[in-house]
Amino acid sequence: MPVWDRAASRGQGRPIRWGMPSHCKARPSARLARVPYAAMSVSDGIVRAPNRLSCWATHQVTDNLIEIEGLRFVRGDRIIFDGLDLVVPRGSITALMGPSGTGKTTLLQIIGGQIRPDSGRVIVDGHDVPKLSRDELFELRRNMGMLFQSSALFTDISVFENVAFPLRAHTNLPDEMIRDLVLMKLNAVGLRGARDLMPSQLSGGMSRRVALARTIALDPKFIMYDEPFTGQDPIAMGVLVSLIRGLNESLAMTSLVVSHDIHETASIADQMYIISDGRVIGEGSPKELRDHPSTMVRQFMLGSPDGPVPFHYPADTFLDDVMGDA
Amino acid sequence: MLRYLRLLGQWALDWIGALGRASAVWFRSMAGLPRRGDMTLLLKQVYQIGVLSLIIIVLSAFSIGAVLALQGYTQLARVGAEESVGLGVALVLLRELGPVVTGLLFAGRAGSAVTAEIGLMKATDQLSAMEMMGVDPLHRIIAPRLWAGMICMPLLTAIFNAVAIGGSAIVGVDWLGVDAGGFWGGMQDGVQRWEDIGKGMVKAGVFGVVISWIAVFQGYDSTPTAEGISVATTKTVVYSSVAVLALDFLLTLVMYGDFN
Amino acid sequence: MIRMRTIEISVGAFVLAGILCLVFLAFRVSGVGVGDTSGSYLLNAKFNDVAGLRVRSKVSLAGVTIGRVAKIGVDSETAEALVTMQVSQDVANLPVDTGARIQTEGFLGGRYISLIPGGEEQVLHNGDTITNTQGAIGLEGLIDTFISKMGSK
Repeated sequence: MPVWDRAASRGQGRPIRWGMPSHCKARPSARLARVPYAAMSVSDGIVRAPNRLSCWATHQVTDNLIEIEGLRFVRGDRIIFDGLDLVVPRGSITALMGPSGTGKTTLLQIIGGQIRPDSGRVIVDGHDVPKLSRDELFELRRNMGMLFQSSALFTDISVFENVAFPLRAHTNLPDEMIRDLVLMKLNAVGLRGARDLMPSQLSGGMSRRVALARTIALDPKFIMYDEPFTGQDPIAMGVLVSLIRGLNESLAMTSLVVSHDIHETASIADQMYIISDGRVIGEGSPKELRDHPSTMVRQFMLGSPDGPVPFHYPADTFLDDVMGDA
Repeated sequence: MLRYLRLLGQWALDWIGALGRASAVWFRSMAGLPRRGDMTLLLKQVYQIGVLSLIIIVLSAFSIGAVLALQGYTQLARVGAEESVGLGVALVLLRELGPVVTGLLFAGRAGSAVTAEIGLMKATDQLSAMEMMGVDPLHRIIAPRLWAGMICMPLLTAIFNAVAIGGSAIVGVDWLGVDAGGFWGGMQDGVQRWEDIGKGMVKAGVFGVVISWIAVFQGYDSTPTAEGISVATTKTVVYSSVAVLALDFLLTLVMYGDFN
Repeated sequence: MIRMRTIEISVGAFVLAGILCLVFLAFRVSGVGVGDTSGSYLLNAKFNDVAGLRVRSKVSLAGVTIGRVAKIGVDSETAEALVTMQVSQDVANLPVDTGARIQTEGFLGGRYISLIPGGEEQVLHNGDTITNTQGAIGLEGLIDTFISKMGSK
């Protein structure tokens, strides 16, 4: 069953306005516009970002753009998430890491409402995503951006038209203004000169930058990056790292980065989550995680080939296997 | 025994599920009101689906018309009724061969292309990306293809019929020497506007709906891998062909069934 | 990437070609409006036997098709077949004593109604009934008659 069918629509279209739920606006002082980078490096043994402590304790959703609580998702016989808790503070760059196959991309799809979880709350900017109707979801997604691993550029139209696509779909701006906006966005990723190329003519790094330009075309409040560094050469990687950091600061966005690339990710993330077996096994600033008490977290942060996450796929002992036929 | 029964049950459930999803796709795509720019999308699809199918339609039509005239002539000439060749060819084409052959060619040429295109869009996350941009792919991608299929099939069938009759006239009249007056006169005498031409076009319209529906659904519902797309493309051609032939029989029964 | 202009022009040409083909089919391939009811009037005729005659069978005058059989029913009073014919307005001057005969096209061909004009001054109008009729003589009937005659000799 395709994921979008699962997000079937029901009920009446209740208009969604992007912004804080009204009950949160009562306490504007509790808002943290941006988690100070310095505040993250508290190493008092508690493996938690300070903002999380403060907001979680008082149940203030205002600080966090995304709050996931007790998420459970089963695909076939496999349990992908089993009681996952996660928060993304407004204005932060939050990284989500973990071994391959732990369902990081699935989590992004759940946040985007493309997949419905089996249970748990997924609050995005005050809206409980799994409970939204199809129309409400599309409304909510106008303020979300997602950069796909495959870039997902529309292959039948040019670079320019790709970036113009969300603008044309959601606004009634005149052509000249769309042109200016597109060139502005393309300039931000350094590809203003490539506007007339077709997606098939772009290198991997270029198509990801075009996809990024398309993602920021409507100035979303929140961008999810799915493996933005995978398969990039070192230069392209450096470009992307600085783009993500730069965009987050200049446009006051919130970012959620899913990645394997520990060094690049650690260099830009305010806080990190490490997921394994459907749960969060470590959370905190990159520095905190490097000194994490859990050997599993340390193995991941240091990239050791063997450890609690075994090198070998579960099997009989090698001797038994080899000698089995004899 | 129980195992086979269970397999049959699973198979039936799969089919019912697929039918349900296919209906949901159809209704959700057709429900949306036209928006700005939709006409451009539709034009592009009519080009992709209709204009690009023209060559194969015209070539097949001409050779089928020519062959029908040849075969009809040899048989009818034995009883001295070679002038009826025009009428015979026209009736066979207008009532049956025109819509059916156009439908089969359309499924193979345009249907498979649509499935592969949508399947590839799904595999490269283009549909997902569109959803995440708050644009409904059913409206943006699926609906124009459905409409284009419904518009193109009757037009292609009309072109097929005209070219095939033209081809039969070239072979029958110009080459085999059937009297032109008898050829066209017999045709005009026996062919009825609604009974033969109209009902043939109704068939074409129904085939257009069904083929484009199967094609977009197979693409939309495909497994987003190279293998999944190839399976979906094959399914489109097989299912549409079977559907065209079965529906042709049903429609003939319903529309021409009042023999008395 | 093909330019939009090219697409627009070729789609326009395609739609135009389709419509022209339909026009060709409607006016060059199909009959001159025998099927439509606009330029025609109805005549009735009673036959003792209409076996083989069908709705849409031809109605001809001097070998020229001038109409179609529109309806076949039974007159319950006389136990005869009541046939309604649709005849082209072009032949609106058929005399009242016109005869109708059911004939066979070719050796085993379909049945049709042949009208034989009479000599009266008055003409048949819409809804009038032809009384001078001759029903179908089936090939089977002919063979039966032939065999019984042979047997009686």
